[in-house]
Amino acid sequence: MRHFVVVGILVIVLAVAGYVGLEAAHLMPVQASAQAVPIDWLWNLELMMISFLFALIVVPMGYSLVVFRRKKGDTTDAQHIEGNTTLEITWTIIPLFIVMAFAYLGAGNLAEIRRVDPNAMVVKVTAVQWSWSFQYPDYGVTTDELHLPKGKQILFEMTSLDVIHSFWVPEFRPKQDVVPGRITELRITPTLIGNYKVRCAELCGTSHAYMEKLVIVSSQADFDSWMAQQVKLAQQAAATPEGRGQALVASSGCGACHTTNGAAGIGPTWFALFGSQVKLSDGSALTADEAYIHESIKSPQAKIVAGFETQLMPNYGFNDDQINDIVAYLKTVK
Amino acid sequence: MTHTQDKNSMLGQGILIFIYLAILTGLEFFIALTFRSVPILVVVALIKAALVAYYYMHVYQLNADTVEDENSYEYKTGTNRLGLWLFLISDSFVFGGLMVMRVNLLGLTRPNLNQLLGLGVTAVLLISSFFMNRGETLMKNGDRKGFLTNTLITFVLGLGFLVGVIFVEWRLAAAEGLTPSSGPAGAAFYMMTGMHAFHVFTGLILLAIVWLNGRRGLYDEKQYPVEAAAVYWHFVDVVWIFFYPALYLIGAALLA
Amino acid sequence: MRKTQPVATGLLLLIIGGAVGYGIGLGIDLLVTQTLNFSGSVASAFALLLAVTAFFFGLFGYRGITRGLVWQVLGTLIGGFFITGIRALKGLSLFGAFFFTEPALVFGALAGVISFVFGVGVVSDWMKWARGLDTPEHHEDVPGWEKYFGVSLDHKVIGIQYTVTSLVLISVGGLFALIFRTELAESQLQFLKTTFHLFNQNGPQIYNSLMSLHGMIMIVSILLGVSGIMNYVVPLLLGARDMAFPRMNAFAYWLAVPASVLLLMSLVLGGFDTGWTGYPPLSARAPVGIQMFFLGVFTAGWSSILGSLNVIATVLRMRARGMTAMRLPIFVWASIATSIIALTATQLIGLSFQLVSFQRLLGMGFFDAAKGGNPILFQHLFWFYSHPAVYVFVLPGLGVISELLPVFVRKPLFGYRWVAMSSLGIALVGFLVWAHHMFASGMNEYLRVPFMYSTLLVAVPTGVKFFSWVATLWGGKIQTPTPMLFVLGGILVFLLGGLTGPPNATVSTDLHLTDTYFIVGHFHDTIFGGFVFPFFAALYYWFPKATGRRMSELWGKVHFWLMTPSFLVLTFGMMRIGLLGMRRRIVDYDPNLMGDQVLFRLFNHDFRAIDLNHSILTIAGYLIGISVLIFFINLFYSIKHGEKAEGNLWNSRSPEWQVPSPMAAHNYEVPFEVVGEPYDYGLPGSKYVQFVSQPEHINHSEESAAHSEKKRH
Repeated sequence: MRHFVVVGILVIVLAVAGYVGLEAAHLMPVQASAQAVPIDWLWNLELMMISFLFALIVVPMGYSLVVFRRKKGDTTDAQHIEGNTTLEITWTIIPLFIVMAFAYLGAGNLAEIRRVDPNAMVVKVTAVQWSWSFQYPDYGVTTDELHLPKGKQILFEMTSLDVIHSFWVPEFRPKQDVVPGRITELRITPTLIGNYKVRCAELCGTSHAYMEKLVIVSSQADFDSWMAQQVKLAQQAAATPEGRGQALVASSGCGACHTTNGAAGIGPTWFALFGSQVKLSDGSALTADEAYIHESIKSPQAKIVAGFETQLMPNYGFNDDQINDIVAYLKTVK
Repeated sequence: MTHTQDKNSMLGQGILIFIYLAILTGLEFFIALTFRSVPILVVVALIKAALVAYYYMHVYQLNADTVEDENSYEYKTGTNRLGLWLFLISDSFVFGGLMVMRVNLLGLTRPNLNQLLGLGVTAVLLISSFFMNRGETLMKNGDRKGFLTNTLITFVLGLGFLVGVIFVEWRLAAAEGLTPSSGPAGAAFYMMTGMHAFHVFTGLILLAIVWLNGRRGLYDEKQYPVEAAAVYWHFVDVVWIFFYPALYLIGAALLA
Repeated sequence: MRKTQPVATGLLLLIIGGAVGYGIGLGIDLLVTQTLNFSGSVASAFALLLAVTAFFFGLFGYRGITRGLVWQVLGTLIGGFFITGIRALKGLSLFGAFFFTEPALVFGALAGVISFVFGVGVVSDWMKWARGLDTPEHHEDVPGWEKYFGVSLDHKVIGIQYTVTSLVLISVGGLFALIFRTELAESQLQFLKTTFHLFNQNGPQIYNSLMSLHGMIMIVSILLGVSGIMNYVVPLLLGARDMAFPRMNAFAYWLAVPASVLLLMSLVLGGFDTGWTGYPPLSARAPVGIQMFFLGVFTAGWSSILGSLNVIATVLRMRARGMTAMRLPIFVWASIATSIIALTATQLIGLSFQLVSFQRLLGMGFFDAAKGGNPILFQHLFWFYSHPAVYVFVLPGLGVISELLPVFVRKPLFGYRWVAMSSLGIALVGFLVWAHHMFASGMNEYLRVPFMYSTLLVAVPTGVKFFSWVATLWGGKIQTPTPMLFVLGGILVFLLGGLTGPPNATVSTDLHLTDTYFIVGHFHDTIFGGFVFPFFAALYYWFPKATGRRMSELWGKVHFWLMTPSFLVLTFGMMRIGLLGMRRRIVDYDPNLMGDQVLFRLFNHDFRAIDLNHSILTIAGYLIGISVLIFFINLFYSIKHGEKAEGNLWNSRSPEWQVPSPMAAHNYEVPFEVVGEPYDYGLPGSKYVQFVSQPEHINHSEESAAHSEKKRH
């Protein structure tokens, strides 16, 4: 009996100490969305359960190892105890109730983070190897930085042009895969002003690690003035072909692979590309003219620049007008 | 169970089961033509598979061994039987996975295929199963000549099925625009028939081995290889019992 | 001196073969691509294949595994040229950066695997049977070490072959881990830079290939380790002379060898950047290495399927007299549960990889959204195996824990029936939980809640095991030799893995945790606790049975006390940074993830909190590596020089310890009969097994009674 009392006290002590320690360690990043609140609540509950169950198993184990060691020179066996059906049933039924309770709470929790606000602002997210672009259909603006107003639910409608990516801002908590050929949704209500990063959480190839974009949560007023500026810039850019081209490559994330300063990238640099001599992987060479750029965008694998044989550029589905804009832009990159 | 029956009643049972199977296949075709009920088609396929598994594949024999000497041929045959059935269970997960793939990609649609040819190859495979059963039964009753004749017929019919699927059906489908790369229907059709045809092909190899060795009198005493080849052959038939409605009968035909 | 000579010859030939192969490959590459590519795939592939083959040639001569490897190389070349010839007739391109085109490589690799099994000679008996020839029931092995390098039908030899192959793969996978762990020690790229080129890949691509292969090589090595223990131990525990199908047993093992070669070839042939999961569309676009990976996994999968088929048949048909279901050793129950999963579900990973392979080769759009396919379908097929697969890994390990605990506690296993049934329970529930890997995948939303319930349900039978273990320890007379230390370490680590599971099972928290280092820490805990620790326990425990000598206790304890704390630091660190936003499978990470304050400068690098954290993880990783190295030295040294193990070393009730070590060629010279409960420690006068001196003279009615009882279960 004495053993049980000691172990009982130790279990409680270790469970409390474990939970307090884990709680003090600030395991989660800051809460920056309304959805993070229920998730952190459930996580906290799970920490309590983990601390308790850990203590419940480890304490009697450690205690047995110390107290019930075989003494030196003792060659006899221990007492013959085969089992106890009541105990077995107990530790089947009670955990069963606990996990079912957690599943029940988890379902409610899930419903809470998926709660729909009919006035949510839609942001269309397009993922491509290895970049994100964000389109605000209400304003006709496409950017490669995600600006969000505080306190408003955002409905992200996401799709991918090539492989599976995953949209994740750790401070917001939930993540959602972005799948080619379908639109996946995620609802986030930012609650904390600050700068964060959206990171791709599903392995998507060579530069997966660098598939990050800035997320800026600001007050509604700041967001509105930023948006007004973006709308103006978009209108200005739309006036000239090279402006449209620049906006298009920026929003399509081309910069993830193609640099404009001559530095080495995943793909060939655009610096002084137009009109230059290009060496291809089959040994031949050609001049980078309109026809070549059209072909390279429409069927990227047709002619491969020497040194880039192992890279696969996706087909972005640009039409001829868009490509003409891009060509006009490329002419300005010198 | 088989031990108590004489040769003629066993052969008679084979014929009876074949008639049931033929009627059910006709019924399937009729249902597909008229009221297109997927649940009924599934139930019919399950009944057909159960008939084959019980009466042709003798699944109950798994429980039948009464011998105690672990070194006897009979005890080892029991072990071999168990091994073969375990293998078939494992293999059926491949076909199950293909069915999941088909349901997921195509749902209540199906590739547009030649119905008469489908019914034809299905009939050929079913008849081959009947002759296989006949051959096995005759061998167990010591009739080597009957066994050889029936196995040969099975082999020819199996070859006919393979030719019908690979060299006729595939070409017809490709001519209609249904190719492996044409879309999910083409992908599912070629993958499923291809995987099944591969199993038919291996079954044919087993039949050839059993026939050649049988001709030399190898199975007059130790007959398990004959049974194994037969069970495998029937298994290939069971797979087709499910694949045939899945590819030819269920849902509305997709035009290529 | 004479004994070490083959090893020296082998190593010498390894170097020569590698150099010659490299030269040949370089020449061929020069002919095809007109460029001299010193870090290219072709030269490396030839170097790898010739080096391995030459090593075994020096060690063993042209027979057994050497002949298999030679045939595999020839088969690959012939198969490749066959397809290349067909392509020539059709006017298609003939050669590429990897010498052969992709279809030629795939067909060649498949032909290579088939050639291997013919070359090594494991199918020769079947070929004779097909020709109507008879073969002897058993082939006698030559005594000495040479039998391990050729085909043997003895389950003990095969078990050791499996185990050694598993240990080789663990070293390779561990080496890969250390390489990329080194790169991760600091933020930014240190040596796997974009300017670094090897095997037609740049630094980050090499990182992705190594990381992906670390996953799959470890998985295959675990499967082989599981097969190794089951093969060695199960027939001994059952009192069988061998497995039910000795030839298929050997065949299953020998499939694993070409599979391992293919997995290594995938690294050399352009690698692949998909992780071990190989999700399309990424895997449909990956370099050709992924095809070698698919084929390697497919082959290893068949090895696992046939091996588990054998285990089930053996347990059902070859038990000793009186060994009823409730008197089976608990490890046998675990083996059955594991084998049921491996027999069935493994087909689905093979199928899913096959479908991607065909999508690449023939343009079949199973998972190609542009063609109407469904990328999520792959994940369902894949996880239908790959989740239960973790139970394949851990159930035998948990079986080892349950099997060894009573021996070292000197007390019966608490609640034998419940522990036995919990294995089956875990296996069966394990079939219904796969979609919890896909909570964030975009699959049908309504599937998430039912899969959350089923996943949490797995905690119940797992909990039964934990509570029963603790109750077994309670009030015992505990000894802690090395195997027991690893058992206890296994329980502790598996407990941590188990407890970090429910947050991943509840959907909302999982949406934060999935695809982060939290998951990485969680599953390393489950796999180490559920497999690696018990595997080491089993090796320390049964090593004397296999060799007749003991491994050093001292170095065993050093191994344990070095590995366990390092491992705990490693996984705790992983989970900590994962919660804060460290994603899985990234070659480089945000230096400001844990704050942008520079703590100190070292090696010309600003160490922030995250750098420090990762450096600690890397050091912990190296310490684990060193501890395993100590284990290897201990193992090889003890084979010859270990203390002689006599009699019932651990004072166990199990039948294999009632006869002298090492085990005789055909196991028990005198068969035994089960007369009591397996774990009745502390019950005076009770016995588990009794050796029947003259089996022929047993009373016939008794015999049939025993047999019919056996059949009823």
